[in-house]
This record gives sequence, structure tokens and C-alpha cells, in this order.
Amino acid sequence: MLDFDGLRKSFGDNHVLDGVGFTVAPGSMFGFVGSNGAGKTTTMRIAMGLVRADAGEVRWHGRPLDPEARRRVGYMPEERGLYPKMKVGEQITYFARLHGLGAAEAARASEEWVERLGLGERRGDQVEKLSLGNQQRVQLAAALVSRPEVLILDEPFSGLDPIGVDSLAEALLDQCRRGVPVVFSSHQLELVERLCDSVGILARGRMVATGTVEELRRREAGRLLRVVVPDAPPHWADRLPGVRVVSEQAGDTLLELADGTDDQAVLAAALRTGRVTHFAWQQPTLVELFREAVAAPKAVEVAA
Amino acid sequence: MSEPRTLGSAALVRLVAAREISARIRDKNFIISSVVILVLLIGTLGLQVALGSGGGQTRIGVVGDAATLRPVLEAQGKALDVAVDVQALDDEAAARAAITDGDVDGVLIADGGQQPELLVEQTASGSLQAVVQGAVAQLSVAEQLAAVGIASLDVPELTVTAIDPGADQDGQRVVVAIIGIGVLYGLLILFGQFVAQGVVEEKSSRVVELLLATMRPWQLLAGKIVGLGLLGLAQIVVIAAVGVTGALAFDLVDIPGDLIGTAVSVVAWFVLGYAFYASIFAVAASLVSRQEDLGTVVMPTTLVLVVAFVIGIQASADPGGALAVITSYVPGLSPLVMPVRQAAGDVALWEMALAVVLMLVAIGLIVRLGGRVYAGALLRTSGKTKLREALKAERV
Ligand SMILES: Nc1ncnc2c1ncn2[C@@H]1O[C@H](COP(=O)(O)OP(=O)(O)O)[C@@H](O)[C@H]1O
Ligand SMILES: [Mg+2]
Repeated sequence: MLDFDGLRKSFGDNHVLDGVGFTVAPGSMFGFVGSNGAGKTTTMRIAMGLVRADAGEVRWHGRPLDPEARRRVGYMPEERGLYPKMKVGEQITYFARLHGLGAAEAARASEEWVERLGLGERRGDQVEKLSLGNQQRVQLAAALVSRPEVLILDEPFSGLDPIGVDSLAEALLDQCRRGVPVVFSSHQLELVERLCDSVGILARGRMVATGTVEELRRREAGRLLRVVVPDAPPHWADRLPGVRVVSEQAGDTLLELADGTDDQAVLAAALRTGRVTHFAWQQPTLVELFREAVAAPKAVEVAA
Repeated sequence: MSEPRTLGSAALVRLVAAREISARIRDKNFIISSVVILVLLIGTLGLQVALGSGGGQTRIGVVGDAATLRPVLEAQGKALDVAVDVQALDDEAAARAAITDGDVDGVLIADGGQQPELLVEQTASGSLQAVVQGAVAQLSVAEQLAAVGIASLDVPELTVTAIDPGADQDGQRVVVAIIGIGVLYGLLILFGQFVAQGVVEEKSSRVVELLLATMRPWQLLAGKIVGLGLLGLAQIVVIAAVGVTGALAFDLVDIPGDLIGTAVSVVAWFVLGYAFYASIFAVAASLVSRQEDLGTVVMPTTLVLVVAFVIGIQASADPGGALAVITSYVPGLSPLVMPVRQAAGDVALWEMALAVVLMLVAIGLIVRLGGRVYAGALLRTSGKTKLREALKAERV
């Protein structure tokens, strides 16, 4: 198990992390989401020993991640970085060696990854001469070349075209199949929903929701109702008791029902406006769950 | 496939150093600068050889009583500080042939009663004419004295007392030392720049975050300094070897032992000077994130180096002066001043030891304090970091 446990971190008066904790099982993919500035990068940097936590620790197999254990972690920083003037093959070999592979083995592993990521032709080129997409591949190779036991990737999908996204996703799933726990942060929530076994939403320094997408859905299920009433006047649902309008667009309305609100009363109200073409409980997407989770306390604050 | 091994500090430092060396020896700037330095060195040697042979020997042919003339011509040459090589020739025809062939610079024809004559190809050089004129005059005076019955004149002999018998050699030692600190200065600047550029390159390309996920900042710093230092050391050793070998082979110096001694001391001071300046350059460079900003942060250190070089040159003129003596102990200045003092005169062993110890203490302090700055500033990859911020920043 990869455990992030009770991480706290302040930069001066800026309390960024306030007890962040989650667990990633071997062979599973964890999607780490949160708004900009929520503290995802800080959390990952703590794991990699690049930022010192004020409290809490990150453990792998029950032991705190120390410099030696980190050598077995593949890391992709948010700000990508490679030696611009170093050749592709040599660069990947170098990172393999820094992660503890012997000279011959590092060269072999580098060769293998260069081929596998379709960089065979560019092996002898300086990294700065490569397209951005190819540089990303080299970056990925640098993280994967040492056969890491754990992968921590900060926004690995950002800046990739759809083909690049697919091949990276495939590479990560491949690592999961090898039994590697993979943690990655992303703002592409459909992607997270598609790839991840579990998801953690970070907001206001805490994990406001963690679990499988299914679990999160179940927690939220029974609350969002989609009603399509093409002939209804705007704001038709505004004054219904126990109902909050989440969104409304040309009669396509998303409603959140408070506990104990009768959905049949809502149907009756809808029928009074004319035709009802759709009436069903909504499976929330991760995007909606995310909005919900990130926005919730603000609503509380407003109410208070 | 074997499992990845754990890496100790030494292994990491070695990996970083090896990368620095292999990246640098393929770098255009490095190759060009190395070639330029060697070409300059060989050029200087060649120039010395060319100049040296110009003022060398005057070859004088003699037709006539060579046995009498030879010692007189040689004595004249000695008095005028011209090396004279006398060759006996048979007759005027042989003399003409020898001149045209370039075997001799001129031929003195003094066979029998007629006026002595100096044959030359075009014109007689000043020294040639002076030597021959002096010799002829001296002989003629002796002959005329003999004719009136005076066999020898009782002329008091002049005694020459040397105040500083080794003055000439001291001069050579100092010249060698100046060339030595010139090379030292150039290489310190060059390799200091290499270190600084390397540090900034890692920050500006952001690769430093990936590196620090596998090693401590001090390991990265040490690897970089050691790697480039070995390269610098190799370069100065090659330069010293070529210079010394060349100077000995072409017989440019009269003091082979001292030449080698000075070369060794320059190489040794390079090691200390490099450790000192490379650390400062690296720490200064860690404060900025772009190559464009590098100039401003390394400027103060470069100025110290320039000042040290100027004092070193000054010390060669006045090696016993207060300025030279004091600065030869000051860390940072000592590498460029002490070799000159050593070359010029006797520096007591304790003086050397003091300079070396002070330098080592300074290096220790810089590495400790500088290491903190470096570690604090390394991950701040945007803009410039203030020294105080870097010292206060958390280090992991
Ligand atoms: N080295 C630092 N010094 C000061 N503040 C920082 C530092 N690193 C991050 N922060 C602050 O911490 C907060 C979280 O940043 P970050 O972890 O990068 O968030 P995310 O990756 O989720 O966008 C931000 O407000 C950022 O300004
Ligand atoms: Mg981030």
C-alpha cells in the first residue's frame, strides 16, 4: 500500500495542506483532482522529498519513503525537465542509472524504452531538437525506465494531443497491470473517470472526497434529477419547495432535491408546464461530483 | 535482470561527475577554448625559439693566421656579449663560397701585409663589424707595441663582483610564474563559468527537480564541481607538460629544476583555487534561473579573480613587498600571488603552509554555507532568489 497520511504544510501564512491522507493499493490507479492551487503538486513533492511536510508522512509497504525507497519511485514533475542538450538515449540511460540500474542494464532498458515509445529514430538527437510531444515521451521514459515500484505523476496528460493521451493512458494501465500503484493529478476529469480505480478530490487543504467513482456516485445518487420540459417558461422550477436548480438550459433542467422532497411533486409541477420528455435520476459525472465537492462549504457559508 | 541496487553518495557523485565530463568534452566552447589555449602556448614557444636564434651566434670566417685571430675574435665577442664562432678558410675563393652558402656571416681576410678586409654578402651587422674591428685594432696595437720593443702592457685587471649572481635566473623564474598564473587565471575563469552555466542550465530547464528526486543537493553540487574540476586539472596538466617539455626541448630556460617546480606549484594552486572559485560560482549561479541573469551574480567573484591576477602580476615586480606578502595569505588571492612569490625568492615553508591552511578553511566555510544557499535556491525556478531568502528557505 502507498499511504499518504496526515500531511500538513504551510508556506508562511498560506496553509496549503491541512491533513491530507489517502491510500493507493498496488496495481490500482489513483486520480488526484483539485482546483488550481489546491495543493496537489505540494503533496506529490512531499512524497518525493522535494518539500518537507510540517506533519504527516508518506509510506510505501508501511515504511516511510526515504531517499533509498524513492529511488524506486518513478516521478514526473509538473514542470517538465530534461537536459536540453543531452541526447535522448543517453538521457534516459542517465536517469536509469540515477535510479540504481547498473551501466549495462541501464543502457539496455533505455534502448527498450526508446523503441517502445517510438523514439527509435531520434535516439541520437538532442532533446531540444524534438517536438513537444516527443519530449513528453522522453519524460515518461525517464520516469519508467528503472522499472519503478511506484509511479507519481503530476499532470502527465497536460499538453498531450488525443493520440498522446491514449498512448500515455495505455502505458499507465500497463504499469498498473504490473502491480504498480499509480498516482496522477489531472484536470481532465473524464479521463480520470475513465482510467482510475479511485479518485481523491482535494479542496481547502483536505481530501473532501475519496473512493471509487462508483462510491462517490452512490454518495451523491438520489439527489440529482434531470427533467426536460421543452415548453416550460424559464425559472419554472425556482419556487418549488425543497428543490435547488443546478442548471437550466432551454427546458433541460438539473435539479437537486433536499432530503424528504417528493419527486412526484416535482413531476406534477413539470407536467403543469406542458410536455415532459425526460424525467430521471441523474448519474452524476465526475465533473459534477467535483463541482459539488469543491463548492459545498461555500454554500454552507452563504447559508450561515 | 538484476534488481536495481542502492546507490551511495560516492556512486551518485561519480555518476554526476561522469555526465559533466562527457557533456563537456563534446561541447563546442570547451573544444575551441582548449585548442586556442594549446595553439597560444605552442605559438609562444615558437616565438621564443625564433627570437632566441636571432640574437645567437656570429659566424666569422678567417683567411690568414686563424690561430692568432681566433682567440682575439672570441675575446672581443665575449666583451661585446656576442657568441662568436670562428672558422678558418683557405683563400678568398673559399671565403666567397662560404658567404654565399650562408655558412658564415662574414670573412676577415688578413693574410700578409695589406689592409685587413671584411667580406660580407650585403652589409655587415653591427655586432659582426664591432667584433672584427675590435679584434683587428687590438692585434694591430699589439704588433705596433712589439715593434717598438714592448712585449706586454701592464694594464690593471678589472675585477667584476656580482651583487646578485642569480638575477638572470630569478628573472626567468618570475617570467615562468607569470605565464603560470596567467594560465591559472584563464582556467579558473573558464571552468568557473562552466560550473555556473551548468547550474543555471539545470534550473532553467527544470531538470533539477527530477535530479533532486534521486539525490541530495550537495551530491549534485559535488558531482558537478568534481567532474569539471577533473577536466580542468587534466587541461592544466597538459598545458604544464607541453609548456615545460617545449621550454626544455628548445633550451629556452637555464633553470629546468625551477621551471618544473613552478609548474607543479601552479598545478597544485589550481586545485585549491578551483575548489574555492567553483564553489562560489556554483552558489551564485543557483540564485538565478536564466542564463541572461548569470552575468550579474558572478560579476563580483570574477572581479575578485581579476584583482588577484593584477596583484599577482604586480607581485612579480616586487615579490617582497607588503602587498604581495599579505595577499599571498588571503584565501582567493593566494592562488595567484603565492606561486609568484615562490618563484621569485624563498618563501618559508610555514608561509606556504599558512596560505594553504587558510585557503582550506575558506573552502570548508564556502562549501558549508554555500551548500545551504544552493539547496535553498535550487527549486526556486522562477526569477532571482535573494541570498537571504535562500539561506532561510527550507532544505529537504
Ligand atoms: N515553494 C512555495 N512557496 C510558497 N508557496 C508555495 C510554494 N509552493 C506552492 N505554494 C503555494 O501552495 C499552494 C498550492 O500549490 P500547488 O501545490 O502547486 O497546487 P496545485 O498543484 O494543486 O495547483 C498555492 O497557493 C501555491 O502558491
Ligand atoms: Mg500543480
